[in-house]
Amino acid sequence: MTRADEIARSRSASAPVEADAEGGSGLKLPEPPRRLLSRVRRFGPLRFFFGGGEAAESRPPQTAPAKLPGELTRTLRVQLPAMPYVTEDNSLKAMPPHGAGAGRAFRARKRRAASGGEPGWLLPFVLCAVLLLSVLPLARLAGAGVSGLVDGEAARLIFEPATFAALRNTLVTATGGMAVSLILGSLFAFAVALTDTRGKLTLSFAFMLPMMIPPQVTALAWVGMSGPASPLLKTLGLAPPLGSPQPLYSLSGIALLLGVQHAPLVFLALKAGLAASPRDGIEAARLAGAGPFRVFRDIVLPLATPGLIAGGAIAFVSGVGNFGIPAILGIPAGIETLPTLIFSRLASFGAATFGEIALISTLIAAISAGGLLVQQRALSGRDYRLIGHSGARAAFALGRLRIALEALLWAALALVLVAPLLALIASSLVPAYGVPVNFKTVSLSAYGEILFRQSITLTALKNSLFLASAAALGLLVVTVPAAYLLTRRKGVLANLVAILIEIPYALPGIVLAVAFILTFAARLPFVGVSLYGTIWIILAAYFSSFLAVSLKPVMSAFLQMDPSLEEAARLAGAGFSRRMRDVLLPLIAPAAGASVILVFLIAANELTVSALLWSAGTQTLGVAIFNLDDSGSSDLASALSVLVVLLVIALMTALEFFAKYLPEGVLPWRN
Amino acid sequence: MKTLLSAVAAALVAGLMSTTAYAESLVLYTSQPNEDAQATVDAFEAANPGVEVEWVREGTTKIMAKLMAEIEAGNPVADVLLIADTVTMQRLKEGGHLLPYKSPEAAGYDAALYDADGAYYSTKMITTGIVYNTSAAMKPEGWQDLVKPEAKGLVTMPSPLTSGAALIHAETLAGIPGLGWDYYKALAENGATAAGGNGGVLKAVATGEKAYGMLVDFMAIREKAKGAPVEFVFPAEGVSAVTEPVGILNTAKNVDAAKKFVDFLLSEEGQKVAVKMGYIPARNGVALPEGYPARETIKVLPVDAAAAVKNSEADLKTFSGIFGTN
Repeated sequence: MTRADEIARSRSASAPVEADAEGGSGLKLPEPPRRLLSRVRRFGPLRFFFGGGEAAESRPPQTAPAKLPGELTRTLRVQLPAMPYVTEDNSLKAMPPHGAGAGRAFRARKRRAASGGEPGWLLPFVLCAVLLLSVLPLARLAGAGVSGLVDGEAARLIFEPATFAALRNTLVTATGGMAVSLILGSLFAFAVALTDTRGKLTLSFAFMLPMMIPPQVTALAWVGMSGPASPLLKTLGLAPPLGSPQPLYSLSGIALLLGVQHAPLVFLALKAGLAASPRDGIEAARLAGAGPFRVFRDIVLPLATPGLIAGGAIAFVSGVGNFGIPAILGIPAGIETLPTLIFSRLASFGAATFGEIALISTLIAAISAGGLLVQQRALSGRDYRLIGHSGARAAFALGRLRIALEALLWAALALVLVAPLLALIASSLVPAYGVPVNFKTVSLSAYGEILFRQSITLTALKNSLFLASAAALGLLVVTVPAAYLLTRRKGVLANLVAILIEIPYALPGIVLAVAFILTFAARLPFVGVSLYGTIWIILAAYFSSFLAVSLKPVMSAFLQMDPSLEEAARLAGAGFSRRMRDVLLPLIAPAAGASVILVFLIAANELTVSALLWSAGTQTLGVAIFNLDDSGSSDLASALSVLVVLLVIALMTALEFFAKYLPEGVLPWRN
Repeated sequence: MKTLLSAVAAALVAGLMSTTAYAESLVLYTSQPNEDAQATVDAFEAANPGVEVEWVREGTTKIMAKLMAEIEAGNPVADVLLIADTVTMQRLKEGGHLLPYKSPEAAGYDAALYDADGAYYSTKMITTGIVYNTSAAMKPEGWQDLVKPEAKGLVTMPSPLTSGAALIHAETLAGIPGLGWDYYKALAENGATAAGGNGGVLKAVATGEKAYGMLVDFMAIREKAKGAPVEFVFPAEGVSAVTEPVGILNTAKNVDAAKKFVDFLLSEEGQKVAVKMGYIPARNGVALPEGYPARETIKVLPVDAAAAVKNSEADLKTFSGIFGTN
């Protein structure tokens, strides 16, 4: 593909930009490091929003958990014609030394000229942010893990039977959860992407809910739905006899719920790929007499495989790191997984166990990395070049089967979503345990207690709202410059930044929380105070954890923007801040808004990170729910959970109203 | 951009304001259930206007771990502790973490119920007995009934790894001839489970997942009054008791308010608040709540506090070994 071609393509916004597999960017790097980088670069999947976001409709399956900003940068980057007053410089720039004195202005000028009008502070600013939020805590964790290994005490503890049991339980539940996620997620993905089922948007939206609802709420709801305790079953007269164990308090119960919680991840990974199935190919096969099954097997399935493997791997990794579900279902049954083991070690044996929890979290990180590597190996080398129209709308007309499939889908949704939520509401309306819900027993006293008496609710609500809004808005300060930089730059440094942004999100929250404890338990230099036990350590961990979530929509917006706009402004002499204010920001504003709501949504419901970091007065909503349930007030826990679910639905609906202003692929439940 | 920046600034300022607001208030670490902690705090604030109480609830073992971690980080947040048992308090006192305070209210108490130096004061009596679901086939009367075949797989208890009362309970029973750790081994063989705190036990028994549980008295008696299908027994062999002591940390930022808090808990008024929640008061001459037998009929088993302080760590390990939890 020639350069002129590339420009022509990218200038017409509607024309799909064909991805050039390697290069096309004029990057002159020796071969080995570059190969290494592209391998490394695919390491961190976006577990949350993948795919979409690119203008490349002719792209093969959006297997793009692995599609990272760096890669997009390379494939979609627009090469400017070499104008006399713009020096195109593709050589790798060394990182400018910090705080350089006299030479700085000169170097900055040189750089500005070099990188197409990007101000000198941009790269150092983004690098500093990434170093603080990603490199420093993870390096501390790795250091503590290593010294824990060297110091025999922690190493001895890690070889305790309890640790091995937790490791086994983690692997078993995560694998089981992955299987459930694959079944549920692929059922919905195939139905929504390839058949003429009605109500696709509603189905997708409802199917995304389990992922948005905090896991401990999911667990509480399901517990209320089953077992001899269930107010719902008691009311219906279906409760099992006394002494029947709660079936969910088991490895299979944890696995089932992990599966439900993470099924949307598989759904998302698959849906994007299936939407790109070649319509002509399917039509041709049908004309040639192939039956629907044959078409499915030979055309659809091969295209879906990368998405299946990617989705499965992500579901597995998320299962390994999940804390809320095994905490609520496993602790009563004495089943520990690695995340709950970290939590109980930290909670029972005090701060002396830092080395040990560092080791355990390193173990979780290693398992996660293994899962992510499997995923990226499965995806590499599966780059289909599709010709012709994609987007096989309703490749399979179901005819009479349609009603049956729709019934099946809605029944599945009723089982995994509606029934547990009803049970949750029922649990919040009974005055005491073991009482059936009827007109005589129903009471709103739990809501009264939660809303008007418990100061913890107000504290938690205040903290969660503060943390969520500060993280959502504050992250924009980092992600807008970072997204600009990553869309304009290329090369080793940009790729590295992209990876470093990705890693904290790909790692389980519990690992990140441990890293932040290790980093900030000591007093800060210069200030002499410790962040441990304050709200700021939670905020810092959120910044790190949700950086990638915040970046994604903004990045999509920059990528879909016609670069000639900024180019024109630049040629007209507008400086960087002027271009930002008058050209770029108005165009990316909707995406930035979506980014704010998405981060807010996830952060407001977060438990895993804050479960390890909270202290007096810094409880979050997730911690409050967990703590209420722990003290035996499950009616209060359920009442608060109901309010949280309402908050989630309200925020998702707000995003849905926002949809038409947003770039492609920002909202995970839309096509 | 400008509005965005000002929004961020506003959010940060709000956060700063809220963190600085904590400095002007009293921070309480407690192991009481949320509703009780809130009611205690509300009553105290009503009696002492102008003092604001921030509180945190966790099982005693966990709250201690949190506190120790904070002390380690040089940033202890708590001013006052109100936790399950005097053994933990004694350990804190020996570690030099408590502030001695002679409360004028101590006159209304048996000398055995508070530390001679005034490092901590008992506020209530919480006994651990047996709770059972009303639809259970057997009506247990003593500890030994829980190892009978009828109770196989139907017994649950709180874990000492979470609950301070549970640790004292285990140490008490372990020191009683005829029970001892062998009794716990027999329970484990009979399929008894031990996990989480007292709240989980109440839930399991009231909801019929389990038929029998070891549980603190007030929870069962209170829940029964609310209509839950449970009964509570003070077993024939006797019950273990913890006394929910209160103590002031020597790092307390707000010592005056902390002293007021201690005085309030020990005062007649504060004791009545506890009675209203369903606790046995520690103060002489305050009547027991509804649903309890007469004070003299409850047989409290002795526990060797000094030994308990020394052996806690080992006892936890023993218990974990028997029940295979960690």
